[in-house]
Amino acid sequence: MRNYAIALLDDRIEAGLHGNLLMKSAEIILGTVVLLTLAAVAAFVLSHQKKLSNRLMSFLLCALAASSLAALLGTGFQQFTYVTPAPFLLGVFPMSFRLDGLSRLFVGLLSLILFSAGLFSTGYLKHLEGRISSGLYWTTFLLFSLSMFGVVLSGDAITFIVMWEIMSLSSAALVGSDHSHHLVQKSALIYLSATRIASGLLCGGFLWMHSLCGSWSFVDWNFGTAQAIFPALLILIGFCIKAGIWPFHIWLPYAYPAAPATVSAVMSGFMSKISIYGLIRILVQGGLYAPEIINLAFFLGAISAFWGVLFALVQNDLKRLLAYSSIENIGLILLALAIALKARAANLPIVADIAMTAAVFHCLNHGLVKSLLFLCAGAVDSQAHTRDLHKLGGLAKKMPWTMACFFLGSFSMCSIPPLNGFASKWLIYQSLFQSAMLNVSYIERGIALATICLLSAVGALAIATFVKAMGVGFLGTSRSTMAEHAQEASAGMRASQSLLVVMCAGLGVFASSAVKFISQLSLLSRDSAASTAVDFPLSIPLLTGLLVVTCLIVYLLFLESSKVRIFKTWDCGFGALSTKTQASSDSFAQPLARIFRPFLRYETNSTIKGRDRRHFPEEITVEVKIVSILESRIYLPSLAVISLGAKGLAKLQAGSIHLYLIYVCSTLVILLLVGTAL
Amino acid sequence: MNGAELHLLRSCSHWVLFALSVVFVPPLCLGIIRKTKARLQNRIGPPLFQPLFDILKLCRKGETLSSTMSGTFRISTVVVFATMLVLAWMTPWLCFKPWSPNADLFLIVYLFALARVFTLLGALDSGSAFGAFGASREVTLGLLVEPALLLGLVALGIFCGSSDLRLVFAYSPLQSTGVSGAPGIWLLVGVSILLSSLVELSRMPVDDPTTHLELTMVHEAMVLEASGRNLALIEFAHALRMSILFGLSAQCFVHAAAAVWRMSPLTQGILNIAGIGLIAISVGVLESLSVKLQWRKVPEFVAYVVSMSLLAALVAAGSGVTKL
Repeated sequence: MRNYAIALLDDRIEAGLHGNLLMKSAEIILGTVVLLTLAAVAAFVLSHQKKLSNRLMSFLLCALAASSLAALLGTGFQQFTYVTPAPFLLGVFPMSFRLDGLSRLFVGLLSLILFSAGLFSTGYLKHLEGRISSGLYWTTFLLFSLSMFGVVLSGDAITFIVMWEIMSLSSAALVGSDHSHHLVQKSALIYLSATRIASGLLCGGFLWMHSLCGSWSFVDWNFGTAQAIFPALLILIGFCIKAGIWPFHIWLPYAYPAAPATVSAVMSGFMSKISIYGLIRILVQGGLYAPEIINLAFFLGAISAFWGVLFALVQNDLKRLLAYSSIENIGLILLALAIALKARAANLPIVADIAMTAAVFHCLNHGLVKSLLFLCAGAVDSQAHTRDLHKLGGLAKKMPWTMACFFLGSFSMCSIPPLNGFASKWLIYQSLFQSAMLNVSYIERGIALATICLLSAVGALAIATFVKAMGVGFLGTSRSTMAEHAQEASAGMRASQSLLVVMCAGLGVFASSAVKFISQLSLLSRDSAASTAVDFPLSIPLLTGLLVVTCLIVYLLFLESSKVRIFKTWDCGFGALSTKTQASSDSFAQPLARIFRPFLRYETNSTIKGRDRRHFPEEITVEVKIVSILESRIYLPSLAVISLGAKGLAKLQAGSIHLYLIYVCSTLVILLLVGTAL
Repeated sequence: MNGAELHLLRSCSHWVLFALSVVFVPPLCLGIIRKTKARLQNRIGPPLFQPLFDILKLCRKGETLSSTMSGTFRISTVVVFATMLVLAWMTPWLCFKPWSPNADLFLIVYLFALARVFTLLGALDSGSAFGAFGASREVTLGLLVEPALLLGLVALGIFCGSSDLRLVFAYSPLQSTGVSGAPGIWLLVGVSILLSSLVELSRMPVDDPTTHLELTMVHEAMVLEASGRNLALIEFAHALRMSILFGLSAQCFVHAAAAVWRMSPLTQGILNIAGIGLIAISVGVLESLSVKLQWRKVPEFVAYVVSMSLLAALVAAGSGVTKL
C-alpha cells in the first residue's frame, strides 16, 4: 500500500492507465517542490564552490521547472487533493495541497518564469561576483521558488500561510543579497516590514474566518455572509500590501531595483501575482458579495493603475521604472477582478466572465512580459554597469538582440496589437464596454465609461513611459563611456529573453485559444460546470499575417532598392552634436510631468550662468525634483509617530528588577479584577 | 447576370473604388487644405494633386541617413506605412468598403497607437534633439487626445450595441431598426472625432504643419531626419491617417443626416467623399483664420474635445438602447 493518498475529487476519472498517468503527473509537480527543498540544501552545502554551484543550481532550477511544466501538460483538467501523511504534519495539522484549474495556470506561469530565470542566471551572476554570496543566493532562491509552488498549490489556510511566510522571508533575504550598498539594506528593511504587516493582516483574516466557518480549508470558507466583511477586508488589504497596490505600494520601487535581476523578474513576474491568486482563490471563489469591499477593490485598482504609470513616467532608473509599471498592471488586474465581482453581484454573468478571464489573462501576460523586461534590464545592467537612463543610450548597435527583446516586451506593455498585452487589455475594455451597455443602473454605466476614459489615459501614459525607456535607453548615442563599451549579453541570457518573447507573441497571436482555455477554468466559483467560454472575436492571426506581409512588400518595393547615403544627424549647421544635445530622460517626460505636476509635486530649477549668459552661457544646470506625496506626507510622519511612541514605551523597560516585579504584580491584580467583574 | 455574378461584380467594384480612394483621397485632402489656404491668402496656390506629385518626386530621390541611426528608423517607417494601409482597410472611413475583418473600436485605436509608437521610435533613433522634442510633444498630445477619440467611438458603440465598427457604421440595419434616429449623438461624435483628429494630426490650432523649425513642433520635427523614399512613405502615411480620421468624422455627419433624410447608398457614398472634401476645406479655413495655441493652452483645448466625447458617451449610455 502506498503511504500517501491522492484523493481524486472528480469521480469521472476511470481507474487504470489514464488515472495512473494523471496521478504520476500530480506527483511530479509535488515532487518538484520536495526536490527544490533538497536543491536548496545542496546549494547551502556547495556554497564554497561558486562556479560549480552557479552552473549546477541554474541547471537544476531549469530542469525542475521544465519537469513541472511537462507534468502540468500531462495532468489534464481534473482536480487533485493531496494530504500529507502522519510524519509530515505541521504541529497537529496535516498539510494539504490542491491542484485545480486555477493553480494549474499559475504553476505553469511560475515554471516558465523560473525556467527563464534559471537560463539567465549563469551569465548574469558573473556580473554580481564578489558582491553577493553565491551559496546564500541559491539557497534562498530555491527556497523562494519552492515556497511559491507551495502557496499556489496549498489547499488550506495553514499550509498557505506557512508557505507564504517562507516566500516572504526568502524574498526579503534575496532583496538584500547585494547588501554592501546602503540603499539595498534600506530597501530590504522596507520590504521586510511591508511583508510583516501583510502577513499579520492575513493571519488575522484567516483566524477570523476559521472562527466563523470552523475549518481551515479554503473550500469551506464562505464570504457571502454579513459577518465575513471584516475578515474579507483584512485579507484584501493584506494581499494588496503584498501586491503593491496604491497606497501600500511604497516598498515596491525600493525592493525590485535593489534585488538582482533574476529575483526582481520572479518577484514582479510571479510573486505579485500570487496576491491576485490568493484573492481569486479565497475571496472570489469564496463568494464575496459585499459591495463595500468590491468598490474598495475597484477604487484601489483604478488609482494604482493611474498612479503607477504616472510615477513610472518620471523615473530615471530602468528597473525603478519597471517597478512602477508593475504597480500599474497589478492595479489593472485588481480593477478587472473588481469588475468581475461587481458584475456577478449585479447578475451580469457575461460581463463577469469576461472580466474574470481578463484578470487572469493579464496576470499571465504581465507575468511573462515583466519578467522579460526585468531580465533585459538586468542584461543592460550587467553589460553597461548602470541602469540610469541619463547614462545609457546608443545600445542599439551594441546589444541589438537585447534591444529587440526589450522593444517587443515594451510594445506588449503598451498593449499594442498583436502582442499579448493588447489581448488582455482588450478584454478589460470589453468588460467595461459591456457593463456600460448592459448595466441596469445609470450610475454604474457612468462609472464604466469614466473607467474606460481613465484606462485609455493610462494606456497613453504607458506608451510615453516605454517609448522613453526604449528611446532614451537604447537609441541615439551613448551618454557615458560605460554604455559605449557595452557588449551583447551572453547566449544563455539571450536565450531566456527570446523564450519569453516567443511566449508573449504566441499568447498575443493565438489569444482567442488562450482566452477560451482560461475562461473554461471555472474561476468565479468552485463548481466546474458554471463557466462559459468567453468569445474573443478579433482575428489577430489574420491581422498579424497581413501586417507582416504588408511590411515586407513595402520594404521590398520602396526601401530595398533606394540609394542610401550615410551622413551625420542634422545639426542646424552649428557643428558636431554632443551627446548632451539629445533629449534626456527628464526632458522627454517634462511636458507630461508638467501637466500632472500637482500629483507629482514636480518642480524644475534651472540656472544659466556666464558673462554673456544670453548668448554664450558657460554653465547651465537644470534640476528636476519630484516628491511622492504619500511617502513624504503620510508614511514618514506616521513612522515618526510610531518611533516616538516606541521611545516612550522603551522607558518602561528600565532594566530594574523591582520595576518588573511591580509590573507583574499590577498586571495580575488588574486581570483578577477584570476576571471578577466579568 | 445571376445573383452570384452580380455579387462578384459588386465586390470587385468595391475593391477598385477602395483602392482608388486609398491612393487619391489622402493627397487630395492635403491638396484641398493647401488650395483653400492659398485662395484665402489671395494666391492661386499649387494644383490640387501637388502633394501626390511631391511624393512621386521624393520616390525618385536617394535617402540620407544619419550615422548614429540603427535599423530602427527605416523599420519604423515601413511599419507605420503598413499599419496605415491595414487601418485604411479595416476602419470604416468609407461607406463603399470591401469585406474586412472585425473592426473592433479598441483594436482600431490601439493600431493607431502602434503607428504612433513606431513614429516616435523613428524620431528618437538619430539622437537628434528635434526628433526627441517632437516625440516628447507627440506623446503628450497622444495622452490628451486618446481618451477623446476612444470615448467618441465608445459612444457610438454603446449606441449601436456593438464594439465592431463595421456594425456601427453599417447603414441598412440601422435604418430599418431606427437606431440612427438620434442625430445628436452622431453630430457630437463627428465633431469630437474631427477636433481630436486636428490634435492627433498635429494641425492648427495645436501645431502649425506648414512652417519649419520654430513654429512647427510636433510631427514635422519628428520626421526631420527622413528623406527620399523614407520621407515619401512617412508623408503618405500621415496623409492616409488624416483621411481615415476625416472619413470617420464625415461618416458620422452623413449618419446624422441619414437620421433625418432617407437616402440611397449612392448618395451616401457621394456625400461621404464630399464630406471628407468639405472637412478638408473647413480645416483650411480654420488654419487661415486661427493662430496656433500656446503650447500650455493645448490641454484646455483638448478638455473641450474630451468633454464633448464624454457627453456623447453619457447620452448614448443613458438612452438605454439595448443590443441589436
